[in-house]
Amino acid sequence: MTETSADDRRPAENARRESAAAADIGGVANRIGRTNRSASSDGLEYDVVTTPVLVVGAGAAGARVAIGLAESGLEPLVIGKRDHGDAHTTWAAGGINAALGSLDDEDDWTIHAADTLNEGHHLNDSEAVELTAREMPERIRELEEWGMSFDRTDDGAINQRYFGAQSYRRTCFVGDRTGEAMLETLIGRARDLEIPYRENVMVTRLLSDGRRVFGAAGFDMETGRGLLFRSNHVVLAAGGFAALYDRHSSRDDENNGDAQALALEAGARLMDLEFVQFHPTGMVGERYGEEWDGRLVTEAVRGEGGRLYNAENERFMERYSPDQMELDARDVVARAIGREIEAGRGTKNGGVYLDISHRDADYVRERLPRMVERFASLGVDITAEPIEVAPTAHYTMGGVDIDFRTGETGVDGLYAVGEAVAGVHGANRLGGNSLAETVAIGKLVGEHVATAVDGSDAEPAVTDEQRALAEREFRALESLAAADGEVTPTILLEELRELLWDHAGILRDEAGLRTGLEELEALRDRTGDLRVEGGLTSRSFEFAVDLSVSLTVAEAMLRTALARTESRGAHHRTDYPETDPDWRVNLLVSADEGGLAIDRRGVAEPSDPVREALAEGYELDYHHLE
Amino acid sequence: MSTQQQQPEEPQSQEAPEDPEMRGAESPVDEKEKQGGDIDQQTTPEDELEGETVHIKVFRYDPEVEGKQEPRFDDFHVPFEKGMTVLDAVMYARDTYDSSLTFRHSCRQAVCGSDAFFVNGKQRLGCKTQIADLEQPIRIEPLPHQEVVKDLVVDMDHFYDQMHTVEPYFQDEDTPNPADLEEQRQSPENREKIKMSSRCIWCGACMSSCNIAAGDNDYLGPAAINKAYKFAMDDREGEEIKEHRLRILEQEHGVWRCQTQFSCTEVCPKDIPLTEHIQELKREAVKKNLKFW
Repeated sequence: MTETSADDRRPAENARRESAAAADIGGVANRIGRTNRSASSDGLEYDVVTTPVLVVGAGAAGARVAIGLAESGLEPLVIGKRDHGDAHTTWAAGGINAALGSLDDEDDWTIHAADTLNEGHHLNDSEAVELTAREMPERIRELEEWGMSFDRTDDGAINQRYFGAQSYRRTCFVGDRTGEAMLETLIGRARDLEIPYRENVMVTRLLSDGRRVFGAAGFDMETGRGLLFRSNHVVLAAGGFAALYDRHSSRDDENNGDAQALALEAGARLMDLEFVQFHPTGMVGERYGEEWDGRLVTEAVRGEGGRLYNAENERFMERYSPDQMELDARDVVARAIGREIEAGRGTKNGGVYLDISHRDADYVRERLPRMVERFASLGVDITAEPIEVAPTAHYTMGGVDIDFRTGETGVDGLYAVGEAVAGVHGANRLGGNSLAETVAIGKLVGEHVATAVDGSDAEPAVTDEQRALAEREFRALESLAAADGEVTPTILLEELRELLWDHAGILRDEAGLRTGLEELEALRDRTGDLRVEGGLTSRSFEFAVDLSVSLTVAEAMLRTALARTESRGAHHRTDYPETDPDWRVNLLVSADEGGLAIDRRGVAEPSDPVREALAEGYELDYHHLE
Repeated sequence: MSTQQQQPEEPQSQEAPEDPEMRGAESPVDEKEKQGGDIDQQTTPEDELEGETVHIKVFRYDPEVEGKQEPRFDDFHVPFEKGMTVLDAVMYARDTYDSSLTFRHSCRQAVCGSDAFFVNGKQRLGCKTQIADLEQPIRIEPLPHQEVVKDLVVDMDHFYDQMHTVEPYFQDEDTPNPADLEEQRQSPENREKIKMSSRCIWCGACMSSCNIAAGDNDYLGPAAINKAYKFAMDDREGEEIKEHRLRILEQEHGVWRCQTQFSCTEVCPKDIPLTEHIQELKREAVKKNLKFW
């Protein structure tokens, strides 16, 4: 491992990247085993699409970047795996943080930043945190100007609710469907600006020489045609990788680590991969049906007063966090629930109870309509009875290492934003900050990329070399689609999810992580025997591509979790239970032909005003609320 | 693209001539009145379904594959699990029996609006419809009045076009620079007024259920009108823009086409009072056109 300081984040020359390009480390063919696939295929028929800026991903982050570009007079192309408006943002429920002070006028952005750093155990990129906290009030007013229908106080101001580990009521919301309402607003704005969107597209490799990108290769999921996107500016806004876990709150076919694998292979670095947020309250499959296992019960249930009880009817948070109770940080509450279940005080279905029935039924219906509706469809009235919950993999703090003022990754022309990147959240994320990051940083990135585009980027020519690189990918995709071995991608994905849940879950130790790495290698070997059913437009094929990226990211995650011999935030090592001040460094992963390399980098200090806020020691006092 | 003008194709794709049971699918409205609400009359309690299999009949059609161009119904028997939805059942059928079975789905929690099907004669969201609430065998068909692309997938372009006609985004005469933005006030009452309208997930169930839309391809349809309602009734948009919106709505194929049959309101999976919203916009349009002096 080599050490660098925070000032040394963008080395001009990086020998590893050049060698990476020479070795050709990207694409599906290099991620998974290759046997029984013909090498003589001609490759997919393909279309060439040129655009000044390609935005990969159409959730809140991608949409906000595209709006920034369009407002600067450019016409970017946004691509996504799903229909317009159907990105993962819609699953964000509880809210979005901004120090508006609607109800608590003592709040300001420095305290928002301080809460974020405390929750992130001071591993956050302080610049990222400060930019987000400072920009957010303006971003909320902007969303409001674009018609987002926030909940209101009696005098018509934007209402704000409590959220875990926040000193004041700072979380703006639209019932418990905030992400859905926000994405609808952003897409409305994008429509108004006539930003082109192409749906059902999956990108499987970036066209890169290790130092700069010149586009992306992928395929149309409905027609199976290859797609060569030629662009000198590519923005990755394709989400995180929490779906790599057995119990997770994402869709199975999203948040698989596409963005991270693509960036890594293109020459960028990944950071903080060992930090995966386990949300305390996921639905329990044994109780509500397997389809519901791990789905999120929004933190807003606790923010609105929900209480946790074990099977012995004990309000157990009194033992773990007498001051902040149910609203302590997510990692604290998740571990507390995990320990209660482990100690045999869980329900027979393997969870604990979350109860909001002491609140007025109409209030619950008004504040948590989606939860009420969902549980009602399962025959459960949450205004009258408790629900069963257990921790679930929810969000990945780690991702692509970027400069937050610009979105630059260190690879020319490649930018990243949103859950795809690392930095705002450090070792654990404050609820309500992920939606905040998407718009706060998305705007900056969009505006910066707009300044980086010049006239020659409008319709870049496609060189023979670029064609050759893309065609190699199209051949790999075609032969993967024809794979006729014995094991389906679904089986391997399920095994991978169980492996990570068991060995890189809420509680980790060296032996388990090593076992995880061994099992991962065995699993990778079996990809040589894949069977894809139904060709390029099938779900089976989509899952095979998902599997390829997931394996890459899983390995990086296991390796960094093994390397970090301390406990901090969401990363809890039972063999190193203490937080070690010497470990206040970020772990950076890069790729070359020899595999993955891990480097350490020091963390920069926050600015004076934020240091003052930290020194004040603001903290939520739960009993205040009762 | 015009889809409804291709009505003649529709009976071919909606009927299974060889199966007399399917005839009921031709008259969704009657069917619905018979059933009332979201729960079929003759269902089996969930406890009794435990360990049983569920019989589903799924509409199949693939214009591009020899031998599948003739619409038909395939029978699948799917093991019941507690909490199982129609979407779970067709996913099980696809993953276990026939990987070519095609339908749209995504979020599985009634947010993305991609899995509206015609289930036992009524437009419903696959992910929000409990198997235990349905009479078996469960017939699962594509949304009526839209061209079938393949199996349960219908062409949504016309629906989206109608949505775009009403300019479904917030408009403001003069938006200041971001730095000069001030928070606009909105009364809780006004927010309450538009709250239900903002729940639309663009699933197309309402349009598919509407007899008027079936006969008038240019009719904006309940979803688009509701979308316009959301903006027109929001006090934060100015009077001028509201008038502009009402002008779009009172055109020949706008609000006045609605004959208040309530079909859309009945099928809306998000319980939006669509018919009421259309009526209210009619009143607004009248008010705007009355000139006093």
